Parts: sequence; structure tokens; C-alpha cells
Amino acid sequence: MEMNDNPSGERKMQCSDENRCFELLESILDGELQDSGKEVLKEKLAKCQPCFEHYHLEQAIRDVLKTKCTKHAVPTELADKIRQQIQEIK
Amino acid sequence: MSEVQRRKYSQEEKNAIFDGEFMPHIDSMYNFGYRLTFDEDDAKDLVQDTYLKAYRFINSFEQGTNAKAWLFRILKNSFINEYRKKSKQPAKVDYQEVETYYNSDDVHYQSTSDLRAESVKDMLGDEISNALNSLAVDFRTVIILCDLEGFTYEEMAKILDIPIGTVRSRLHRARNLLKEKLQGYAQNMGYNTDEEE
Repeated sequence: MEMNDNPSGERKMQCSDENRCFELLESILDGELQDSGKEVLKEKLAKCQPCFEHYHLEQAIRDVLKTKCTKHAVPTELADKIRQQIQEIK
Repeated sequence: MSEVQRRKYSQEEKNAIFDGEFMPHIDSMYNFGYRLTFDEDDAKDLVQDTYLKAYRFINSFEQGTNAKAWLFRILKNSFINEYRKKSKQPAKVDYQEVETYYNSDDVHYQSTSDLRAESVKDMLGDEISNALNSLAVDFRTVIILCDLEGFTYEEMAKILDIPIGTVRSRLHRARNLLKEKLQGYAQNMGYNTDEEE
């Protein structure tokens, strides 16, 4: 099943446990695994093509979410209104 | 919100905490409120309501701890308890359905294997935003908290009152769903999505 032996150094084309691997990759991208995560990540990216692709796709999605998901400007009067109401209950 | 009152703050301390630690998060709070309700007035009400509650319960806030996470938790609870009730939105209906579907393991990769990083990078803000907005609220929320606001899993667990393991798996499912939506846009953009079966 698992064609994992790759003496040529090429990435295997199939990942034996995509769900677990992808979830782990996402945790690493989310900064949840610190140094131990970096080691795992390096190894996966070097050895597994699906993990390699998934990593880059996830990274791209995070980037567009952060940069292109337009933040709605807060209505200017909102902060004033809140302060005013706080004054009233003080 | 914790009912434990750690200590009582003086009026000056309350003002300092409110202005120094609470108000700087108003942009993020409004953005979160808007992405939950899709309505500017509802978002304003939610934020206002959250800040009033925060002030009322300020003694249960421990100075120096994460004010942003504390405020997000209040806003999330207000949304669930009040806004959803008011708008008569059925809670968790779509979520349950989707969760069951995505617990089946073989669905995961199949549905997203065609989406490429290159096509995502070319997408417009509106497409990304619409894809995010189309997710069920529980899935949308974890992506907002993690990817837009940068909360850690531990902070998210506290904000949402769920175990860290659930945060991780819900995020994973949310991202699979988001990719599925994005793949729809990618196909419309004319990217080759290799549909051979």
C-alpha cells in the first residue's frame, strides 16, 4: 500500500494518512507546535508530494484571508456612543 | 465570563482598564460582529452590548490577562444568547449536517485535491470574503478567530468553550469546506481542475 521507500530522494506521490497529516500541517502553520513542528514539517515537505502541495495551498489561503478579507471600518460614532453609555452607568 | 471576583478596582483603575485594554480592540470586535451578523446595525449593537457588559463585569477581568480574548468571548456569547434568538436563526442546524458529512474520512482530500495555490492567489477579495461568509457560523467563527485575528488554539478554546482538540478538528473541517467553496470560484475563473474520473 504505502510506497514510502524513496531512495532516489523524490517525494512519494501518495500520502498514507492525509487527514492526520494535513491536520498536523495546519497546526504547524497555525504556530501551535513550535520547534518540534518545524522538524516534522521539513521532513514531510521533503518526502511527500500531497503534503507539499497542501502546505502551499494552506499558506496561500491564509495569506489571502489576511490581506484580501476586507476589514469593515468601524462607524466613527460607535466608540463615542459606548463611552457616553458608560458615563451614564458609572 | 468568570463569576469569580478577583478584587475590586477603583474608579480610576476601571477607567484605565477600559480605555487602555478594552477600547483598542474595537476594530476587531466590530469586524467579528459584522462577520457573524452580516449587518452593520446588528454588529454595532453587538459591540456596544459587549462593551457595556465588559464594564459591568470589569471586576472579573484580571488585569494583564488577554483582554481581547475576554471581550471576544463576551461578544460570542451575546451573539448566541441574544442575537440568534432575536433573529430566530436556527442554531447549529447546518453545522450538524456538515459535521456528520465531514466525519466520513474519504471525503476530505477528494473534494479539494484540484484547488491550486496559484489560483487562490489570483482570487479577488470579494470571492474570498464570500466564500468565508457562506460557511456555517461555527466554521466561519474558527477561521475568523484563527486566520483573521490570530488567536491561539488555547485562546479559541476559551472563547468558544470547547476543548482544544475540537478547535483543531473544527478548524480542519472549516478549511476543507472553505477550499471547496474556493474551488468553485477557481472553476468559474477557468482554471483547469483536472476532472478525470
